[in-house]
Amino acid sequence: MNTVDPWRFAGGFLSRVLGGQIPEEPSHPPIPWTPLRVPLERARVALLSTAGLSMREDPPFDMELERKHPMRGDPSHRRLRADASAADVEANHLHIDTGYIARDLNVALPLDRLHELAKQGVVGSVATTHYSTMGYQGNDASTLEQQTAPAIAAEMKSEQVDLAILAPV
Amino acid sequence: MGLVARAIEAAGITTVTLNMIWPYQRLIGMPRVAAIEHPFGRPYGDVGDAETQRAVLLTALRLAESADEPGHVDHLPFRWHEEPKETRWHPAEPSPIIAMIKQRQQKKQEAGA
Repeated sequence: MNTVDPWRFAGGFLSRVLGGQIPEEPSHPPIPWTPLRVPLERARVALLSTAGLSMREDPPFDMELERKHPMRGDPSHRRLRADASAADVEANHLHIDTGYIARDLNVALPLDRLHELAKQGVVGSVATTHYSTMGYQGNDASTLEQQTAPAIAAEMKSEQVDLAILAPV
Repeated sequence: MGLVARAIEAAGITTVTLNMIWPYQRLIGMPRVAAIEHPFGRPYGDVGDAETQRAVLLTALRLAESADEPGHVDHLPFRWHEEPKETRWHPAEPSPIIAMIKQRQQKKQEAGA
């Protein structure tokens, strides 16, 4: 069976920095589990990206915080419209080249592809709202975990989302 | 991101997390992981490559139905179209944390020399 090489694009330095954070054996708390409650062709789907995406009319993610304090990252989230394209969205993330997202939002938040799949009946519908966080949280992800994540979950619930596809960048 | 997946799943919504560095699963414990060998910043596929973007998204969506145990990791069969040394994903300047770590290492080396 094919196994994904997690370090193929990371390079030696980053592999050592990130790999050093990961234990040899599982060390996580019990995993929550919600089976999909409707078949995929009836499911309402929302997307979430960690690319630091914001609608141009909204405040962007705070990059100055991280520049001043390299061990901190903006823990907030942004709501993204289902019809957003690259021209409507700003990407702020200091750890990747955001130029690709600026040319094609679908590389990190494939809203066009999701609309196509909904039109073909592969999924039930596209959620009204999609989401972004800032993937880099430095040495303290507690605000993201305890405040932002439950807030996103509540917003998804209020819009009857059945399935969320999340993608770190 | 994994922490967000856990919170959403705990609230009663099914999640699938696409992930390049899937060994993070051992640290975080995400409900369903779709491991993908794509460069940072373009998890679904390259600019304009609608076919790959659609296939990656569809594979992640189907995992919502096929994964049958918490913590399931599925290794997706996609191969990036460029070799790593030709693939540009880094920001124009190093991120603040990487700059800080490199500076510290350099100081250590200078002190040891």
